[in-house]
Formats: sequence, C-alpha cells, structure tokens
Amino acid sequence: MAHDDRSARGIVRDVSDVDRDPELNPPSEPGAAEVPGQVPAVSLGQGHSSVPVVANHDVVDDEIDDPVFVTEKLSVSYGGAPAVLDVSLRVPQKQITAFIGPSGCGKSTIIRCFNRMNDLIPTAHVEGMVRYHGVDLYGGDIDSVQVRKRIGMVFQKPNPFPKSIYDNIAFGPKVLGMKGSMEQIVEQALRRASLWDDVKDRLDDNAFGMSGGQQQRLCIARALATNPDVLLMDEPCSALDPISTGRIEDLMHELKETVSIVIVTHNMQQAARVSDRTAFFIVDMGSSEEARIGRLVEYGPTDRIFTNPHDIRTEEYVSGKFG
Amino acid sequence: MTTASARPARDVLGKPSSSHRLRDRLFVIMLALLTSVALIVLAVLLINTASDGVPEISWSFLTSFPSAFPAKAGIESAITGTLWLMGVVTFVIVPLGVASALYLEEYADSSRWWNRVIEVNIQNLAAVPSIVYGILGLAYIVRGPLSLGRTVLAGGLTLSLVVLPVVIITAREALRAVPPSIKEGALALGATRWQAIWRQILPASIPGIATGVILSIARAIGETAPLILVGAATFVAFNPTGLNSAFTALPLQIFSWVSQPSDQFRLLAAAAIIVLLVILVALNAVAIWLRNRYQQRW
Amino acid sequence: MDRATARPQFHDQLVLLEEQALGALDIVVEQIDRVMEALENQDVELATFVINDDDRIDGRYLEVHQGILSLLALQAPVASDLRLVAALLHLIKHAERMGDQCVNIAKLIPIVGSEPPIVPELLDRVLRMGTAARAEVQEARLAFRGRDVALANDLFRQDREVNRLNKEVFQLAVAVGDEVDRREWAMTLTLMARAIERIGDNAVGIGEQVVFVETGLFKEFPAE
Repeated sequence: MAHDDRSARGIVRDVSDVDRDPELNPPSEPGAAEVPGQVPAVSLGQGHSSVPVVANHDVVDDEIDDPVFVTEKLSVSYGGAPAVLDVSLRVPQKQITAFIGPSGCGKSTIIRCFNRMNDLIPTAHVEGMVRYHGVDLYGGDIDSVQVRKRIGMVFQKPNPFPKSIYDNIAFGPKVLGMKGSMEQIVEQALRRASLWDDVKDRLDDNAFGMSGGQQQRLCIARALATNPDVLLMDEPCSALDPISTGRIEDLMHELKETVSIVIVTHNMQQAARVSDRTAFFIVDMGSSEEARIGRLVEYGPTDRIFTNPHDIRTEEYVSGKFG
Repeated sequence: MTTASARPARDVLGKPSSSHRLRDRLFVIMLALLTSVALIVLAVLLINTASDGVPEISWSFLTSFPSAFPAKAGIESAITGTLWLMGVVTFVIVPLGVASALYLEEYADSSRWWNRVIEVNIQNLAAVPSIVYGILGLAYIVRGPLSLGRTVLAGGLTLSLVVLPVVIITAREALRAVPPSIKEGALALGATRWQAIWRQILPASIPGIATGVILSIARAIGETAPLILVGAATFVAFNPTGLNSAFTALPLQIFSWVSQPSDQFRLLAAAAIIVLLVILVALNAVAIWLRNRYQQRW
Repeated sequence: MDRATARPQFHDQLVLLEEQALGALDIVVEQIDRVMEALENQDVELATFVINDDDRIDGRYLEVHQGILSLLALQAPVASDLRLVAALLHLIKHAERMGDQCVNIAKLIPIVGSEPPIVPELLDRVLRMGTAARAEVQEARLAFRGRDVALANDLFRQDREVNRLNKEVFQLAVAVGDEVDRREWAMTLTLMARAIERIGDNAVGIGEQVVFVETGLFKEFPAE
C-alpha cells in the first residue's frame, strides 16, 4: 500500500497524514456525514524506530500491537519543578486504559499531554516523546488544534456551553468545517452517547437545564461529534451520582468498539469494572520533602493488576492499604 | 459543674437572654436609622425638584427650543443633543472597550512590563475626575491634533474617554465571569483560541458587557464638567444636524438655566432635571432587566 | 504479616475468617485422633461421638462460607486479599470433606467387631496411615497460617507415604483368603484406608491453596 512506503521512508510527519480507521465513521444511511481526511490506522513497525517496550520500572510491560499512543520517558514539569517523570507505556487501540493512583501522582497531567492541553498552561514543560499512531505529537510541525480534532476530551465537571443542546453538539463539527448535514451529525453523536431518545424532542432547550449525568453524556456526545479516534476522560464520573456513573460506564463499553479510551479515575472499582488495562502511578517523595514527583509503577492487564499485581506498591494501593 | 451535656435541653435550646435580644434590636434600629437618613435626604431633594419642575413639563416644553423667554423655552435641542452624544459614546466605547478588555484578558502576557503598567492604570483612569477629561478633550480633540471643534463628535469622544476605563473594567469582569472550563471545553474540541473566544466566551459574556455599557452611558450623559469645557455656546436652539454640528445637552441646559437670574428659569431647570432623571432611571432599569433576564448562573 | 493500618475493620474481619477456617482444621485433627483411637480400641461409643461431632465442622463450614460471601459483597477484596478469600473457600471445603471422611470411618467401626484384629499387620498399617494423615493436616494448618510454601510442598512428599501405605493395605487385603469373615473384615479396613487416603489428598489440596495465595499461581500437585 502506498502509505506503508511513505511510513517506511519516515515521511509521516503531519497528523493529517495519519490515516484513521474507516470503521470510526459509520455512515448509517446514504448521504450521511462524510469526514474529509479519513484517517486509517498506521501500524507501528517497519520504518519506525523501535520503541522500548519496558516501562521504566522493574515490571515488564506486555506486548501491544499497533498502539494508539506510545510514550517514551515522558516527563512534565511546571515552572522547573518536575511533576511527573519518565512515563513509558503503550496504549492499545479500541480498548479502555485506566490511569489510577493517589492524588498528585500526575495521571491527569499525562493524559493532558495526549491532546496537547498542557500547552494552555504557560509554565508547563514537556520532555520525552508522545507518539500518536507513530507521529510525534510535540514535533515542530504538528498543530495542536489538529491534534485536538482527533483526540477528544471529557472533563471532570461537566462543562456544556450555555447554549442549546443542538448548538453544543454542532460546535465541534462547525469549527472543524465538517461537511454534511449538521442535523445528521448531531443525531449520530447523540445516539452514540445514548442520549438521543432523551433529548430528541428538545434539541433547542438550553443545556444547563439537564441533570448532571445528562450534561456529562452531552459532553461526551459533543466530543464524539468530531469523530475522534481517541477519547480522553479525566475523572468523568467523580461529580456524578452512582446511577449516572453506571450509565456512563455502560456507554464506555459500547464506545470502545469505535474509539480508544483513556480514563483517569480515582475510583478503583471503576477502573476494575471498566478498563482492559490499568496503569498505576504513585507520588514519589524522592530525596526531599518538597519533591513530589509522579511516577509510573506498574502497567498491565486490569485483570492481573487486581488479582495478582507484580509490585507491592500496586498491591497495597488496590487493596486500599494506602492512598 | 454545668457541661453542655449536663445542662437540661431547655437551657441549651431556649431563646437568647433579654440583654442579647435588646442588643440585637438596637443594632437593627441603628441600621434602619442610617438608611433612612440617606433615603430622606434623597427624598427631600427629589420632592423639592419635582414640585418645582413637574408643573413645567408639557409637550411644548419638550418640543421647544431654548429661548430668552422662559414661557417659550424648551429642551428639545438638549434632548436630541443628549441622544446624539449617547449614540457617539456607544459607538466608541463598545468596540474600544470590548477589544481592550479582550486584549488584556486573553492575549496580554502579564510578564511584560507594559501590560502590567496598563493593568495598574486602568483603575486609576476610572477614578480621574471628569473635568480632567474635559480639559484633555478641549486641548486635543476640540483644538490641537484632532481639531474637531465644538462638535457632537468631539463631545461624544470626550465623554467616551470619561467612561472607557469603567467599560473596560466591567467588560473584563464579564469575561472573567465565564468559567475557564468553557474555554477549555471549546479548545479541547479543536477550536482555535480565537474561535473559542469569539464563539463561546464573548457570547456568554454579552449580558454582563451590555449591562456595563448601559450603566456607563447613563453615567456619561449626566457628566456636566467635560461638556462645559468641550461644548458649544450654551444657547443652541437647534437639533444637531450631524457629527460636525454644534450641540447642547441636558446637563448643559440645566446648568445654563440655573445660572440665570430669573426664578422662572430655575423652575425650567428643575423640569429638565426631572426629565434627565427619568432618562437615567429608564436606562438603569433596562440595565437591571437585562442583567436579570440574561445573566448566566454558572 | 502485618500491613498498614488502613481498613482495619476489613483486616480484622479477614483475620477472624482465617482463624475460623483454620479452627475447623483443628476440629478435624481432633476427629482423626478420636476415630483412630476408637478403631484401635474398638470403642463404638467414641465412634458414635465422632459421627455426632461432625456437626461442628459442618457448622463451621456454613459460618465461614457466609463470612466469605459477606466479605466479597461488602469489602470488594482484590489482589492478595481476594486470593486469600478464594483460598479460604477451598480450605473450608477441604475441612468439611475431611470431617466427612472421619465420619465414614467411624460408621465402619461397629462392623469391624470386637474380637482381636484378624490381620494385625493390616490394622497396624491403617493406624499408621491415620497418624500420618493427622500429621499432614497439622502441617497443612501450619503451612497456611505461616504462608509457608516450602512446608506446603513438603505435604506432597508426606502424602506419598500415606499413598504407599494405602497400596500395602490393599495388597494385604487381597491376600487375606476366602473365608467370609476374614474377607469382610479386610474389606472394611480397606474402605477405612481409602477414607484416610482421601483425608491426605484434601490436606495436599490445602497445600496447593497456600502456594496460590502466595504466588498467584495455581499449581496442582500431580496425583499418583
């Protein structure tokens, strides 16, 4: 395939070069929304430099074919003070990966590297490498706006725009310049977020009139409207009641067929219920009292992390013995 | 030995002692007295003015031009002058104020010294007495570099200078009131910074900005000192014909009539004051209605 | 193995549950002692006591079972705690089976009769099997309590001894001859030997659980 030749020659430079899986944009009827610049998956392999598989600790990370993200010694510091150091892992496609750990361990910071949201913090400095389908996200010619079109984010507190439900969903596609019937795009996004039936009769109602759980699903629908390849979720359920949380978890199971998901959660049971792989971070007190640095301790299949973790710190955290 | 648990429930839950109650009462009475003093003073002024002025208000009063004869004098030119000034001020302060607020809030890098200087001085500018702006206007707008002469445009620009700092401050507050999560959400969807501001933050802050603008206009049209310096000869018996036209305004007319020796003119001044107050109250009412109706509770 | 002080109620509950389960093994040891003594002295009354006392083991089984369900539902144990809870479920089941085997032996004692043993070597081996099985159960308890993988592995070696004796019992019984009384006696003792051999297997099963709790790997000791 022509694309493989280009990647073999190391020419893949621009995020828009990266192809995305056509599965992700399932047109349900003819004339449905068509996204320009379809992005099928690039397989990491020939032509790309070999990426260390081992996370920076004693535990061997399992092989993941064709990861959506690969980080190599990713480190973030704020104003010179390191916040999280040396994170190396591979995030699989079309699965749910959870980041767990005590507060301050840097899990939110790392996830925000994946969509360049750390750029918004002037004092933040990112070192190391983050690759998205093999492309260095912090490369000189990468536009952070383009990155965020393909990597969506849902925040801890639902943050719908103070507009109608329709306008909320339509915002992303509009700024993206997506072609096609906006009504269909909105409907499809709402269906994917299991919200269509609840709101189909009141699309012009203000989003603020919805309950917290519905607002968060609206935010998920809004993120899905641009047909992203990845959805980053930063503690999406921590402001919600258990029923809403359950519905969103069910939603995540459905979504992972088309979207790779990375979720940060401080709720271990949620990570256990929902995720396929789990990464456990700690706050390393380091050499001095002030140096609170986040580090990756263990990363592996969720099953193993919760029944037979390799590292004793993981064992203690998931059993609730600290943190 | 009366610990809390040992005392009977009745003692713990009962009403406060009579000395407590007396003190509470006295406090409330004192507050009420102070408020009434302020209100009474205001009421006296108002009633006085109204009793003098209201009888003078008639359709002919509103539609006549000033004249040497009190019986024939009216405030039509003052009203239209004020309206023209309001127009000019609005057209100047909205773009300038909002743009400045946007720049300072979103784009100015606060580590640069000149931005910090601007920040500090906006507050100072808002506190400068309006007559200083009048002098500024006279020197640089009416005469000097702009040399617009004593025109509606010059008057409007001068008044704009008076209220611009307040508009900038209010607009910044309105922009700041929009939670950063909205901006984050917009950016996370792939909007550029400008798209996020133009499409989400600015629209969300419009009610706050509009309220601030209306209140500023209300203040501007009551400013007399700058207009005295910048305005035309006070006897303007025609409606402004354009931006280049001479003008008068309600505060100017009031000032002029009050300075006349004849008592009759003072009654007319009272009437004009009432009209001005009505306009001000109406503007404030609109601002309050706007705020209540459209204010976002985040 | 004392860990941090977080979740003390959960920790306490887990410790209590383990004590209860291991306590069942203590009752099993008592039962083995009694039934062997009843066999040696042909004490039918003691045998009856053993049969009735099995209720204690059954009761303990129900207690521990319920405790495990509660813990799973309410505390959501994970990692090594989860493995411990799963192991306790197996352990209490093994204990209950061992108790049942003691009852099986006790029920056969009246049949053995009151005369001196027809084949003393046969009885001798059965009694030795009983002692060995008792030792296995004790060792299994120790291994579990101390999470001692080496000791657990040793159980497997001990059990070979019991199995060997069982084979000898079988051979002796086969060679006992044609007389009905002799055959009946010998076969009854064979049944008892088999019951003791089962007790040994259950003890080995407990050893396997020890390895599982410690390593997370379930390794079945090869059957012989």
